[in-house]
Amino acid sequence: MIGNIRDLARKWLEDKEVDAIFALREQNGYLAPYLFTNVDKLGSMEISTQYRLSYTCRPSKENILSLMQRKEPSTRIGIVARGCEERALIELAKRSQIDLGKTKIMGIACTQEEAIECKCERPYPDNLVLGQKVEGVSQDENVDALLNKSITERLAFWRYQFSKCIKCYGCRNACPMCFCKDCKMEQGVFTETGWLPPEIPMFLFIRFSHISERCIWCGECEKACPVDIPLLTLFKLLRRDIKDLFDYEAGMDMTQEAPLLTTLDEMPMKEELASGI
Amino acid sequence: MEYKNILTTCPYCGAGCGFYLQVIDGELVGVLPCKSHPVSQGKLCIKGWNAHEFVGSPDRLTKPLIKRDTGFTVASWDEALSTVAKKFKECEESHGPDSFAVLSSAKCTNEENYLMMKFTRAVLGTNNIDHCARLCHASTVVGLVQSFGSGAMTNSIRELEDADCILIIGSNTAEQHPLIARYILRAKEKGAKLIVVDPRAITLVQFADYHLRQRPGTDVAVLNGFMSVILNDGLEDKDFIKERTEGIEELKKTVEKYTPEHVEEITHIPKDKLIDAARTYAKAEHASIIYSMGITQHTTGVDNVISTANLAMLTGNVGKPSTGVNPLRGQNNVQGACDMGALPNVYSGYQSVTDEKTRAKFENAWKVKLPEKPGATVVEMMNEAMKGNIKAMYIMGENPMISDPDIGHVREALKSLKFLVVQDIFLTETAQLADVVFPAVSYAEKEGTFTSTERLVQMVRKAIKPLGESKADWQIICDLAQAMGSKEFEYGSPAEVMNEVTSLTPSYGGITYERLQRGGLQWPCPSKEHPGTPYLHKEKFARADGKGKFLGIEFKEPAELPDEEYPFILTTGRTMFHFHTGTMTRRTSLLNKEVPTGYVEIAPADAKRLAIIKGEFVLIQTRRGQIKIKALITERVSEGIIFIPFHFAECAANVLTNPALDPVAKIPEYKVCAAKIEKVQGTSSY
Repeated sequence: MIGNIRDLARKWLEDKEVDAIFALREQNGYLAPYLFTNVDKLGSMEISTQYRLSYTCRPSKENILSLMQRKEPSTRIGIVARGCEERALIELAKRSQIDLGKTKIMGIACTQEEAIECKCERPYPDNLVLGQKVEGVSQDENVDALLNKSITERLAFWRYQFSKCIKCYGCRNACPMCFCKDCKMEQGVFTETGWLPPEIPMFLFIRFSHISERCIWCGECEKACPVDIPLLTLFKLLRRDIKDLFDYEAGMDMTQEAPLLTTLDEMPMKEELASGI
Repeated sequence: MEYKNILTTCPYCGAGCGFYLQVIDGELVGVLPCKSHPVSQGKLCIKGWNAHEFVGSPDRLTKPLIKRDTGFTVASWDEALSTVAKKFKECEESHGPDSFAVLSSAKCTNEENYLMMKFTRAVLGTNNIDHCARLCHASTVVGLVQSFGSGAMTNSIRELEDADCILIIGSNTAEQHPLIARYILRAKEKGAKLIVVDPRAITLVQFADYHLRQRPGTDVAVLNGFMSVILNDGLEDKDFIKERTEGIEELKKTVEKYTPEHVEEITHIPKDKLIDAARTYAKAEHASIIYSMGITQHTTGVDNVISTANLAMLTGNVGKPSTGVNPLRGQNNVQGACDMGALPNVYSGYQSVTDEKTRAKFENAWKVKLPEKPGATVVEMMNEAMKGNIKAMYIMGENPMISDPDIGHVREALKSLKFLVVQDIFLTETAQLADVVFPAVSYAEKEGTFTSTERLVQMVRKAIKPLGESKADWQIICDLAQAMGSKEFEYGSPAEVMNEVTSLTPSYGGITYERLQRGGLQWPCPSKEHPGTPYLHKEKFARADGKGKFLGIEFKEPAELPDEEYPFILTTGRTMFHFHTGTMTRRTSLLNKEVPTGYVEIAPADAKRLAIIKGEFVLIQTRRGQIKIKALITERVSEGIIFIPFHFAECAANVLTNPALDPVAKIPEYKVCAAKIEKVQGTSSY
C-alpha cells in the first residue's frame, strides 16, 4: 500500500498536479506530519493511524492546512487522507477554513484492524484512490453500556470522568473542528479560571455543545486526554442525537448545510462563516 | 513552503514528555504531542501544549548588554566577552579563585551543565558551583545516597500504573507533574489504593482512599508512625530485611516510640486513619512512594527522605517494578544538572572532588590542576557574597531574585558583588542586577540532551535558528573559556561534549547521540550494549556493601513555629498553570488567562474570623518581610495554615520564606514559616 501511495505521490508531483503532498514522514522510527515538495524524499513517506493531518495547531487556533493555504494561497496541496480526515476537510471547507479547490485528496482506505482499533463506522473516504473498502464497526460496547444505564448512573459516570480533567485543553487542541479564535473555554465568564478540576460539567460542555454537529468522530480528543476521559463515546452519543434531531451527519456531504449554522430563515450566517467564528 | 515537525523534549517539569515543534518556513507555529513517546503517549499538560509561545516573545534578549552609568547598553559579543574575561582575571588575581561563584541551570542541557562545571573548576579554579537542585532535591541526593547509595528516582514513571498501592507524600502530582498523575489515575482505575499525605487538599485527594492531613513539617513523625504500626502488626518483609538491609534494630528502637496516639499528638492525623493507611501500604504486593518538595524543602529534608526510604525497605518495596521511592524532580533537567556535577562537591556521575583518584582522572582529562576543597552551596554563596568573600558571580539560566528564600537578603548579596554576569533568555529580575548580560537561546534553538526524573536521557533538537544574535549556552561558555585563554573548550557540537561526558562518567558510559536518536536511555547505562536501567537496586543496593541501610530518625520541629505575633503557618509551592519564577509561563497567553497573578489561600474559618472576603488584598508578614496579595478563600488549606504560590514577582512568596537550612543538604525551609495576616484598609478588588 505505502509503495502505491509513494508512486502516486511522485506522479502527482512530477505531473505538476500538485505543488506539494501533505503526509506522514518517518525519521529515526518516529512519524510526524510533513509537507513533501521534493520527490527524492518520498522514500520516507509513511501511513499510520497515529496522526491526523487535519490537526489544529496552537496558538493560532488554525488548522495546519488552512495555515499553509493562508501563507501560500496559490500552492496546490495533495493530501493523503483517510475517511475521518476527509470528513474533517469537508466540514472545515463548509466553515470557510480551507479551500478544497486548492487541495487534491488522495483517499486511502483503512484496514479492518485499523477500523476496529478506532471503532470507526466509516473507515474509508469518498474519494477512495488506494486500498480496499472494509466494513465499518457499527457496535460500540462503551456506547451501548452507557445507554443501558439510568440517567442518574450516567450522570454519576460522567461526573467522575470530568472530575479527572486537568485542564490541559488537549481535547480542544487536537480537534480538527476546534478553530474558534475566541475560544469560550478559555474565558472566565463561563467557568472560573485557574482551578482544578474545571467546573463540572460546564467546562467540557462548552466544547460538546460548540462542536456537537461538526464532530467527525475521529477520536483525536480522546487520544489526547492525559486522564483517559472517554470523549469519543460522548461524541458518539451526541452524534446520535444530532442525527435524530436534524437528520444531519458531519463530514459526509459538502452540499448539506450544517443545522446549527442555519438561521431561522434557514440561510447560513455567511458573515459569521467568513469571520471564522 | 517548508512544513516540518522537530521531535524534542518538554522544557518544563521533570516528567520528560516528548513533543514535536511545528515549524513553517522557519517559524514556530505550535506543539504536536508525540504519540509514540513512552511517557507522554500523545498527551501533554497545558504548559507543554503552549511551550512554543515564550520562545518568540518580544522580550527575548537578542544582543549582549553591558551596564554603564546610564544603564544597560547594547554591546558586541567581542566586547561583552572580553569585558567579562578581563574582570574575571582581575578578580582571580586580587582575590583568588574562591572569590568566584557560579550558578548553573536545571533548564539547560546536560552538555551545557557539564561545560559550566568544567569551566568553573578548570578555568575559574573553584568548586563554588551549584544550581537550583539545592532548593528542591538536595535532600534527596544526600538522603537516598545514605539509604540506598544512589540519590535518584528508583523506578520508572510507567511502572506506577501497575502498583497496588501508591503513597503520595508532599507532591501535588496532578498539578506539578500532570503526565505522571496520568499513571496514578490509571493505577487507581485498575484497583490500586491511593494514600495522600499532605496538609493541603490537593487535586488528587478527590481520588484518594486516605487523605492524611498532617501539620506542616511533621513528616518524620507520620512515616515513623506508619513503621510502628507495621512492626506492631508484624507486616514487615522479614526476608527482604534480613537479606538486603542492615540497621533494622536501630530503626525498631527509634520508631517504636511513635505509637499512633503519639503521632496523632504531633501531626494531628487521627490515629485510626494512620493505622488503616499504614496497613494498606504494607499489605500491597507492589507499593510505590512518590514524594517531592513537600518532603525535601524542610530543615529536616534529609530526615524526611531517609524516612521514606526506611518505610520502603521495611516492606520490601525496593528493587522490583512498580515499587520504590520516587522523588519527582521539578525541572526538565534538574536530574541532568546534578548528574553532570553542577554541584559543589562532585564531578559528573557524583564522583567526589575530595577523592584523589577521581580528581587525578579529571585533571588528566582537562590538563589542569583542580581545587580539592568542596565549594559553597546556593544559600551559602549569598551569605559569602554579603560578607564580601565572594566577589564575582556567573549565573546561567537561574533567577534567584524570585526563587531563593528571603529575597531581600538575596538582593543585598547580589548588589554587594563586584561583578555579576547573567546569561539568560530574558532580562529576569536577577539579570537586571547584572554588569554584563549574555543573551542565550531557548530549548527550541539548540541541540543537546535533558535527563528526566526517571533518569531518562533524551534528545533536545534544534527547531529554529537562534533569535537575533543570541547564542546557545554551550557556545557562550566555550567562547568565554577561550577568551580567558583556555585551550580545552574547542567543541564542534554538543555531541562532542557528550562524548567527553561519557568517557569520564561511568553511569553515562553507554550513551551516544546515535543511540538517543531512536529514543531515550535510562542511566545507569555503562556500556554501548547496555539497554539502560528501568529500576534500581534489583539485586543489590548501590552502597559499598550492597545493603540498604536503615537509619533511626527522630522527629524535629520546623525551624520557625507560629506564635502569638505570627500565628499562621505559611507554606509555599507552585500551581498547575505557572512554572517557577514565571519567566516562561508568564509570557504565555493562555496560562496568564488562567492565573494572572498570585494569591494567598486562606481557610474559610480564618477568613471569617479576620473578616476577609474573596479577592480582597491582604498584607502577609513574616520576620523577613511583607507582601500585599489577593485572598483566595478555600478549604484546600486547613485552619491556621496559608499557602502562597511562589511564581509571582509582584507578590513574591520568597520575600517571606525562612532561609533556615537543613544542616546537611543545605536546602531552605520553604514549606514552613510563621506568618501573620492583616487587612489592607480601604482596598478591595470588588
